[in-house]
Amino acid sequence: MSEQIAFWMLSAIAVLGALVAVRKRNLIHGVFALMIFFAALSVLFLLLLAEFIAAVQILVYIGAVGILLLFAIMLTERVTGDDDRRMTSRGWFWGFAVAAAVFVILLLPVIQQLPSPEAAQTIDPSVKELGHKLMNPYVVTLEVLALLLTAALIGAVTAAQGVRMPKEEDSQE
Amino acid sequence: MTLHHYLILAAVLFCVGLMGAFTRRNAIVVLFSVEIMLNAANLNFIAFWRYSENPALLHGPLFTLFAIAVAAAEVAVGLALVIAVYRHFKTVDLEAMDTLREE
Repeated sequence: MSEQIAFWMLSAIAVLGALVAVRKRNLIHGVFALMIFFAALSVLFLLLLAEFIAAVQILVYIGAVGILLLFAIMLTERVTGDDDRRMTSRGWFWGFAVAAAVFVILLLPVIQQLPSPEAAQTIDPSVKELGHKLMNPYVVTLEVLALLLTAALIGAVTAAQGVRMPKEEDSQE
Repeated sequence: MTLHHYLILAAVLFCVGLMGAFTRRNAIVVLFSVEIMLNAANLNFIAFWRYSENPALLHGPLFTLFAIAVAAAEVAVGLALVIAVYRHFKTVDLEAMDTLREE
């Protein structure tokens, strides 16, 4: 019973947070709504007994991605983003239509009433076991991922640094 | 709570993200939307793992872990590109970035 109450509350928070993040004109408010969405999702992971993923969600998304987004907003546009101009893109109607169509397609298994499998009652997702799995069968994936993160870091620094062009010197005030 | 509840929630979240990615003009909001979609997919992974035959294999958390790491790399590169584009165009409005379009 308490699990159901928690599920419904967290779902409402997550959906509202995502909607506000996507529709809000003020980008800073949008980032905070996005952080609320990430937190709600983290607690949903806890509800699904994936406690390590819940912790990683808070660490990576709220801690790193949210702050990174805040920095990017403050480094670029005025905080309110597209103030007096229109907020949605040309062809927004087709965007809504495609999103609705994808929603219906994703819901087809539920409409067709496929049987829902039972949840395993006893589950022991220990962090220790996760670490063993990462070291034994998935060690190549882990190394590739480490390489990817390094490459992404170097690429991000290089891209954000930009190329020094002579034109750029003139336009600086 | 059945698996369907979680699948419907993930579908709703994914479509909210899709709607944002398709309808907003600000490049940073499009990045938000991509993050929302990735999180919805992660929720699906974890829900399927929880309701799977053999959760002791830990396939769901492992894949979600990898997906989170790739998403972190993606958002770092994406924001660096947004900043680079901003330096060039002086805006993050996606409709202003139409240099490659044939008039």
